[in-house]
Amino acid sequence: MSKKSQLTRRAFIGKSAAGLTTAAFTPALLEMLLGATGCKSGPGGAALAGAILPEDVLAKAVSHLMAKGADFGDVYVERAAFDSVRSDDRKINTTTTVEKGVGFRAVKEGRTFYAYTDSFEPERVYETARYVADAAAAPAASTAPALITLKPLTSPLAFPIKPLPSETAVEAKIELVKGLTDRAWSADPRVVQALQLLREIIRQVQIATSDGRIVSQTLGLTEFMAQTFVKGADGQLQVAFDGRGAYAGRDFFVGDNAFEKVVDAAAAKAVKLLGAVDSPRGVFPVVFGPGMNGVLFHESCGHGMEADLVVKGSNYKDQIGKPTAAKGVTLIDDGTIPAFPGSYAFDDEATPAERTVLIEDGIQRGYLCDRVWGAKLGMPSTGSGRRQSFRYPPIPRMRNTFIDKGPVPAADIVAATKRGIYITDVGGGGQVDVITGNFMMGVGEAYLIEGGQLTRPIKNATISGMGIEAMKSIDMVGDDLKLNPSAGRCGKMQSAPVGEGMPTVRVRNILVGGKGEAWTDIEGDKGGSK
Amino acid sequence: MNYKKEYWDIANIAVEQAAKAGRKAGAAVAAEAFVSDTETIQVNVSGRAVEQMNAVKEAGIGVRVLRDGRMAFGSTNDLSANAVGALAESLVQKVVFHTADEFNTLPDAADGGLAAGPAGFEDLDAYDEKVAAVPVQDKIKTALRMEAAGLEYSPKIAGSMMTIYQDGTVYTYLANSKGVGGWFRQSYVAGALELTAAEGESRESGSFTKGVVRWADFDADEIGKKAAEMAVSMLGAKPIPSAEMPLVVSPEIGTQLWSFLAAMLSADEVQKGRSLFAGKIGAEVAAKGFTLIDDGRLIGATSTAPVDGEGVASQTTPLIVEGVLKTYLHDCYTAKKGQARSTGNHGRDGYSSAGGIGTTNLYLKPGEVAPEAIIAGIDRGFYLTVVLGLFAAIDQASGDFSIPSAGFLIEKGKKTVPVRGVTVGGNLFELLKAVDKVGSDLTWFQSLGSPTVSVSHVKIGGAGG
Repeated sequence: MSKKSQLTRRAFIGKSAAGLTTAAFTPALLEMLLGATGCKSGPGGAALAGAILPEDVLAKAVSHLMAKGADFGDVYVERAAFDSVRSDDRKINTTTTVEKGVGFRAVKEGRTFYAYTDSFEPERVYETARYVADAAAAPAASTAPALITLKPLTSPLAFPIKPLPSETAVEAKIELVKGLTDRAWSADPRVVQALQLLREIIRQVQIATSDGRIVSQTLGLTEFMAQTFVKGADGQLQVAFDGRGAYAGRDFFVGDNAFEKVVDAAAAKAVKLLGAVDSPRGVFPVVFGPGMNGVLFHESCGHGMEADLVVKGSNYKDQIGKPTAAKGVTLIDDGTIPAFPGSYAFDDEATPAERTVLIEDGIQRGYLCDRVWGAKLGMPSTGSGRRQSFRYPPIPRMRNTFIDKGPVPAADIVAATKRGIYITDVGGGGQVDVITGNFMMGVGEAYLIEGGQLTRPIKNATISGMGIEAMKSIDMVGDDLKLNPSAGRCGKMQSAPVGEGMPTVRVRNILVGGKGEAWTDIEGDKGGSK
Repeated sequence: MNYKKEYWDIANIAVEQAAKAGRKAGAAVAAEAFVSDTETIQVNVSGRAVEQMNAVKEAGIGVRVLRDGRMAFGSTNDLSANAVGALAESLVQKVVFHTADEFNTLPDAADGGLAAGPAGFEDLDAYDEKVAAVPVQDKIKTALRMEAAGLEYSPKIAGSMMTIYQDGTVYTYLANSKGVGGWFRQSYVAGALELTAAEGESRESGSFTKGVVRWADFDADEIGKKAAEMAVSMLGAKPIPSAEMPLVVSPEIGTQLWSFLAAMLSADEVQKGRSLFAGKIGAEVAAKGFTLIDDGRLIGATSTAPVDGEGVASQTTPLIVEGVLKTYLHDCYTAKKGQARSTGNHGRDGYSSAGGIGTTNLYLKPGEVAPEAIIAGIDRGFYLTVVLGLFAAIDQASGDFSIPSAGFLIEKGKKTVPVRGVTVGGNLFELLKAVDKVGSDLTWFQSLGSPTVSVSHVKIGGAGG
């Protein structure tokens, strides 16, 4: 939508021509792509993915990259096709984009030098590698390129794409979205507008590093999003959103993840808002429902644990071994959950993915490291170096981030709360200031808690505060962990698919903004609770 | 950077290939090609050293085809004639499955489309050849100076979190099968800095971002000082009790608000029933002093271009004049649907975007009151300088908002203590009507401009009641 093209304070860097917007390919072009690579099953593991550039060209490119004294270097080759089917105002259209390029990184004394070319011609590849080597050159560097030997890595993790986007004709995809469009419009007589977006992305990647690793992988990301607008009898307009994403084909989208469920959820949330009352404001207990609310902790805590932001002085700096959350709270970032949008066999600098315990029973245990920023902390990579495409150097990123389950029966948490709000879906968008840890989230779906019961739905609530403080004031962790394969993209300078999750959790007090009455008697403060 | 004949040619080849594929299928096909050729340098600095440098040279093509009222879009960065021809042909084949929409269109001269050909469109001084020509070493020095100016502003500055220098030059080539076509060029130099200040227990951040067209106009020191000034001035910030009071909006926050507003003035949003401005043309939607203008021809501004993303002549469009809504932002699609004329607002984020309605240079017309005089007239109020998540905090469907904010308390006509941890609550439509003073200090941030503005009353929600 048009909002996307507006500039915001943090968005100006995205203004370059390398647009990140939706785009894609036809079955014929996809066939070309996959046919040329010999990739038939789209595995995450290396063995089945064919080469884009021959290994000797990659080895030579890495050698050029390292010829002027860089400490570390890698070459990232990518071929990608993006296909989307979008329904807006009952009109269904598709877009297609095919892109390719090679990115070169040289690291010297912790500094990163990067450039890319859109050519696969060996001479252009070497030329760009030499350009980056020169930029990173040490004054007295050797100029004799040592030949680098590359050793292919394999992984037990696989991300099969079933069916391949090319196995379904474009008209069948359009029919599918048409059915979903009809479903959205007939969900309620008050629906006045609906959007659906089905996006399929295939990225074939090769990574060769100066320490001799070579990885080939093919990632197939499928995402589906629905947004529904409803208009009440009084003329008020409400909107709600739902979505799912997975490194898998459309076969993944069954049960709770079915496209129909996503469409129905968007409509149901919007309709509920029509009958909602204004959110109260003030500082009081907030109960977060399981699943997608994990995005709050992604924003307000996870970013501060990314190695680059730790180095720059986030709230989590120098906190290893110290309490950074209430006792009983465990926070995990896992890149190995099958099909989840933050999972992969290898990260974008050829390190295997892993499950990283960040906070264990309230104590900070780790950070999310890539090679460059991990080294600055004296810590090994956690397989968290991700990049949006060949256009970007990797940076430390989250994958699937969740609070682990606790001991409290979920139903007891609301029952133990006299007055507060219950948030089903915090997903109204958000922003975090990673320096101070201040966060703000708009709340999508929420209810008043009155006398230990959920009562009326509320609208236009915002929650804000400081991530580390919110984690410390968690006083109940439910036993109902739910992981959500969201269609969410994290936008830290580069866009990356992420997943999230959590059980039902209560935060004793949090600043809630709304147009309703100011609540001043703060039950949660008096330590009522367990 | 230079004009490259091969890119003009490939745009025309794409259009011809689409038409040819149409003839083969026995259908009339109209087509458009949009090629962008970009050079960008980005330098990130940290702790007075380069942290990261990224050099970009990239070109690509986006193609739209129109067949029997159906439109399809595709793009690629493979500019070989074979790849572009295959793309055009595949679009002509699959477009038949798209939904027909009688308003789908590609502009001709009657719609305001310009036919300049290989000579190029009018030069609006939006390009400075120095931007691409200045050696990278000088750009690195500039990035370092930007950070240094911030770090040296005060001993209270604790460090820098983000220092980014970025420049870019873009050549855009556009051709469609109705004769519209030409090329133009743009450049920009931008900087963003985020610093922290610390004193006692208090830790605050400050940031500043600015972009200009010309290398010589880029003032690294200004960015450093303004970011540092903001961080230091916020030290010791505390919440204030909840109350209703007058609000003064800084130019930076003003630009964010007007940009949100402009998104709701998109004719596409209006026609699809998603904007509360529907049916409001000619109505009073804001206070008398409120005049909002979109100007694609503003000399020296970063979003100035002779044509929009589909080749329609850019123009100066007053959207709200003295509080009265005059027009929505249109492209050719919404113009045809709404029986209006395109206002030249089809925006594109590069070649891989089919585009949609967007603003060019958007600004609130300045008034005659000095900003100091606005503050001087307020006994107790809130001066808003920081908002968190503004786009998420305003409900696009109702205009209701509750925005976590920071700024300063105004007491007896003076900015006094810094404030944080409060929310500013209200409704955007009511806020527009409650604007009581518009300052004389029009300030630009990239392609958005605003003076200081005051609003008679908003709800401030503080912690502790």
